[in-house]
Amino acid sequence: MTDAGATTADQGTLTGGGAPPARAPSKALRSPWTAVIALAVLLVAVYPVLSDDLYYQNMIILSMVFATGAVGLNLITGYAGYVSLGQGAFVGIGAYAVGIGVTKVGGSPWVWIPAAGLLAGALAALLGVVAMRARGHSFVILTIAFLFLVQLLATNWDELTNGTGGITLPIPTWSVDYQFWPFYYALMGLLALSLLASWWVRRNKFGMGLIAIREDEDKAATVGVSTPTYKILAFASSAVFVGMAGGVYGYYISFIDPLGMFNILLSVQIILSLLLGGRATLWGPVLGAFIIEWLNETSNNEFGGGNARLLIFGGLLALVVLFLPRGIIPTANHWIERWRARGQAGLAGERLTGIDLRERTAPPPAAAEVSGAPLLEVKGLERRFGGVHAVDGASFAVPEGSITALIGPNGSGKTTVFNLIGGTMAPQAGEVWFDGQRIDGKPPWRRAHLGLGRTFQITRLFREMTVLENVVAPLREFHLGLLNANAVSGREGGRAEELLDFVGMKKYRDVRASALSYGQQKLVELAQILMLDPKLIMLDEPAGGINPTLIERIGDMIRELNARGTTFLIVEHNMPFVLGLCNPILVLARGQTIASGTPDAVQRDPKVLDAYLGEDFRLEQPVGA
Amino acid sequence: MTEFLQALILGLLIGGVYALLAAGLTLIFGVMNVINIAHGAFLILAAFITWSLWRWSGMDPLLAILVVTPAMFVFGWVLYTATIGPIRSGPPAASVLLTFGLALFLEGLMGVIWGNTSHSVRPAYADERFQIGELFLPKAQVFGGLVAIVVLVSLYLVLTRSWLGRAIRASAVNPQGAELVGVNVASVAALTFAVGVASSGAGGAIASVLYPFLPGSHYQWIARLLGIIVLGGMGSLPGAVVGALCLGVAELMTVTYIGPEWATGVPYVFVFVVLLLRPQGILGTRLREDVATA
Repeated sequence: MTDAGATTADQGTLTGGGAPPARAPSKALRSPWTAVIALAVLLVAVYPVLSDDLYYQNMIILSMVFATGAVGLNLITGYAGYVSLGQGAFVGIGAYAVGIGVTKVGGSPWVWIPAAGLLAGALAALLGVVAMRARGHSFVILTIAFLFLVQLLATNWDELTNGTGGITLPIPTWSVDYQFWPFYYALMGLLALSLLASWWVRRNKFGMGLIAIREDEDKAATVGVSTPTYKILAFASSAVFVGMAGGVYGYYISFIDPLGMFNILLSVQIILSLLLGGRATLWGPVLGAFIIEWLNETSNNEFGGGNARLLIFGGLLALVVLFLPRGIIPTANHWIERWRARGQAGLAGERLTGIDLRERTAPPPAAAEVSGAPLLEVKGLERRFGGVHAVDGASFAVPEGSITALIGPNGSGKTTVFNLIGGTMAPQAGEVWFDGQRIDGKPPWRRAHLGLGRTFQITRLFREMTVLENVVAPLREFHLGLLNANAVSGREGGRAEELLDFVGMKKYRDVRASALSYGQQKLVELAQILMLDPKLIMLDEPAGGINPTLIERIGDMIRELNARGTTFLIVEHNMPFVLGLCNPILVLARGQTIASGTPDAVQRDPKVLDAYLGEDFRLEQPVGA
Repeated sequence: MTEFLQALILGLLIGGVYALLAAGLTLIFGVMNVINIAHGAFLILAAFITWSLWRWSGMDPLLAILVVTPAMFVFGWVLYTATIGPIRSGPPAASVLLTFGLALFLEGLMGVIWGNTSHSVRPAYADERFQIGELFLPKAQVFGGLVAIVVLVSLYLVLTRSWLGRAIRASAVNPQGAELVGVNVASVAALTFAVGVASSGAGGAIASVLYPFLPGSHYQWIARLLGIIVLGGMGSLPGAVVGALCLGVAELMTVTYIGPEWATGVPYVFVFVVLLLRPQGILGTRLREDVATA
């Protein structure tokens, strides 16, 4: 790669780089950062030409290796929230791929660098498959085990790796006048590419899905995010560029051995770079990597490395977690925002009060035709928790085009039925049929792709995402084109804005979900599942915990959506709301459907009266079924 | 057959020591949902303290447990109160990273104090062995295994018979509920962490006789212990015991039939196979995160 090529590539990322670094700070913030970043990139780009100080050239080369690693790690740890303590393994894998390729097959090390990236990506994907069923903590353990296992293999598989003897690569053939330039600019190009990838992921639906996984993985699955695929893709792509950088690194230091290449301190350096600079930001990992590598060199030169390096890295890791958990860039942004907002305190709060009830000119639409054919059918559903039969042979059908209610005393199993239909829980017996297909046994995202959307009793928005991002995150169907779709602007973004407009929350599109009131969250959650184009929407207590005006508004929206052909299944305790809106009504008690029919019929049914007021009678609680 | 029997018995004996060490790790995870990556470093620290005691005073390393365990209890309590306690309510990733940082720091600190060379504690019986028929059982392993079982049983009795044990288990199952019935969950967490670290102290003292160690050995130990609790089911005490015995035997069988250089790989293979086939481990129950909010 030529000097000019690398520079332009880097400037390519730069133009967009200033755009949404972390969580889209206010537009005014972008300009000063862009200038600083542009200057820094320019400085790094021309440095080797202006100065022949090899000490700093070496330091920048190593910084770029770790920066590439940290930018990659950001995909899985920053966006998706899965911590990998073995990311350094991919540096070593890349280096070994180049070393083995050159010594066993031949050719220039440069030829083997793409192969190094592919190998690292493939191994990461494999690891992702192993981790697919495991959650949270197991992933950390797996990445540690992976690092040590690869090191063990490199040590003991003598025929391939030459064991502890290591692999020595040929000395570069270019003129000494060019110093380390080829390494330098190759790494700069790789770093630029990985930044470009990171920037793009933050803007497309794939990235939204990853952040959704970080915020609430179960919820993400119910809005169509096929979590294993997302995680595997994220982990594989987190490894590709660092694998290639590892290849360049191996060639650069020209000696590859298990102890040096799979040293856990490489992983520590990558992790620290990401944490210090700022997770889920574009430039944080790069900033962190340059600081940490400088610290690394300093500890080696001033304090003799070894134990000093461990004390500094270990201590710094603990200190960052304790006192700078968000990292430098988000913390700095936070301070700048606060400084800019001085004297305007309370404005944001003021703006957030009240719900925008859009004036409707059109008369409320007439109810849709109820075809009578069941869209959702549940047969003999059972679910026990220990000795408690939460759902005990429940059977019912939801006619297509209806607004069906599912009512019952607290503890009758309504929410469990929802969880079984939605797929967040597996039934121990029974069948669930949706739109002519048997869906029990399908993962939640497959059900969402088929057209099944649900809300939760206690709203579960992705708290750190903006309202718009929350609505864009759902995935209607799985194909790569849609994952790649721009989430902020373009068709998907436009659709999300329309839906926000429908629920009356358009004004709040850039507000973080955690700043919304409970009622507002309910509206956004509705818009969110509408993004799935659902045939059936299951609402768990849509009227719970919100004011009467909003309840009425939600009722109107349900009628309007129903008039356009969406079927509803609603769990609700607010009887006037249910009786005025729903038909038919299903009554659940002790995990079984004891009655169903029109509101009138159900109200007179003695079994229903008994269930509500008889031996099962319990005090209604505001929330919690 | 003798070879097999020998490997089996030695595996079970070493498994008892692993069980004691893994018990602390799984206890901390079960109660606090914290993977204590520094557990390996704690046990190496205990091994170094045992080494110093043995070197200076000639104290028997297995007797040193009586000193090392309370010392590590205090160390664990202080460390928890100063570092882990404040971020307990934060995201789980934070505590993993924090304990990882602590492990590195401790490794560096031990390197400064004791040097980065291999140490081992060699009491008089270190080279002696019992002979039963055709079997040769090194005395150190037999004593170590038996002492580990005694400590483990006492730990089990504390957890099942004492108020602290009930409070610990209550906090693990339902922190809010425990608060409501008068358990101070925060201080129980500190005590649990201290108990966990103390058990790594006892285990580390025993391990110092069985294996040579240096500050960097903690990686191998934490990998081993993580393999055990993943296999047994994270947070399950009986699971940790089963997992530890399995690992002890599997390691000895690997040494005997495949080659000693591959023995360190056994826990990694455990982790991969378990996560692929049965992510909740042998005795673990699947963590149902979806129910928490439902």
